[in-house]
Amino acid sequence: MTVNPVEDVTMRYADLPSQDPTDDVPVLLLHGFGTDFDMNWRATGWPRVLEEAGRRAIGPDLRGHGASDKPTDPQLYLPEHFVADILAMLDELDVRAVDAVGYSMGSRLAWELALTAPERVRSLVLGGFGPVNALAGLDTARPGEGDSPFDHVYRTVAGLPGNDAEALAACVRGQAARPFREEPRPEGVPLLVAAGAKDAVAEGAAAFAGRCGGSYVEIPGRDHANAVSSRVFKQAVADFLGARGSGSGG
Amino acid sequence: MAEENITFTLPDLGEGLVEATVLEWQVAVGDTIGRNDPLVEVETTKSAVVIPSPKAGRVVELHAREEDVVPVGEPLVTFAVEVEESAPQAGIVGRVPEEEAKPKRRVRLKPPTD
Repeated sequence: MTVNPVEDVTMRYADLPSQDPTDDVPVLLLHGFGTDFDMNWRATGWPRVLEEAGRRAIGPDLRGHGASDKPTDPQLYLPEHFVADILAMLDELDVRAVDAVGYSMGSRLAWELALTAPERVRSLVLGGFGPVNALAGLDTARPGEGDSPFDHVYRTVAGLPGNDAEALAACVRGQAARPFREEPRPEGVPLLVAAGAKDAVAEGAAAFAGRCGGSYVEIPGRDHANAVSSRVFKQAVADFLGARGSGSGG
Repeated sequence: MAEENITFTLPDLGEGLVEATVLEWQVAVGDTIGRNDPLVEVETTKSAVVIPSPKAGRVVELHAREEDVVPVGEPLVTFAVEVEESAPQAGIVGRVPEEEAKPKRRVRLKPPTD
């Protein structure tokens, strides 16, 4: 059971309808650690790609990020709380099912969403994500001070305007308290995994996709920070989503 | 209709950033593109972004190669845009409105009551 032991958390989200819809299942965009919807998805050109594909895009600023509330209790950043936020948002929008597209931490949360509410996830795209513990080697008491791949991510995002260092550190600890496990898997959900060829955070992504029966796209020449805006990534996702068929899961 | 060349420089990307690295052009010389079409993907020390085209027109010249570092304010791309020869010179009055719709809804998430 999920409970929020302290005050409620307000989550901001974007809902971008398509002018020329081809599919009644929206695309849910879940951003990575330390960014927000605008930075991870909008500035990198994703709304236009989805608009051209005739798809409605919905994306939150996850708790602790962007314009959403930023509690500082690590317990409030356990994956189940993020999932509860997302499900509440989908309920509010009266959306029954989505194609869930995540990047980095957002991928992990998309996976958790598919495990928690498989009937609401028609397909799953995990970008910038692999099966290794992304927080391996990180001293969660001092994120950003070491040399692990995630320390680098942390240093990149810690200085971004609008970020709250205390909330980010709490988020790291909440995520670290529930390391990713490959099993159980969201059975029966079509899966695409995509990662930059030089993405150290997503190590092992190709083999992971194979073990899950999903497909894998490598984004040539890109690392964890710059794969998200890549045309190769966008095209792979558009193709994958296009193959899901029209309106079948709504 | 006549054509006029207009050069677009790397815009101020905010946050005190002074330069960006060209990751990948989304257009090529000779392409005719619309306003707001994806123009170029660049990376700063903070993030990667896709810069939309500020103009509709034909791409005449790209001033940077992929992996080049371009300072803010330096030429990025030159467009040939159509202009009406007989029309009086039009001035732009006021601000061009922001086109991107801001997220407009919020959801209030409440803890379970039981």
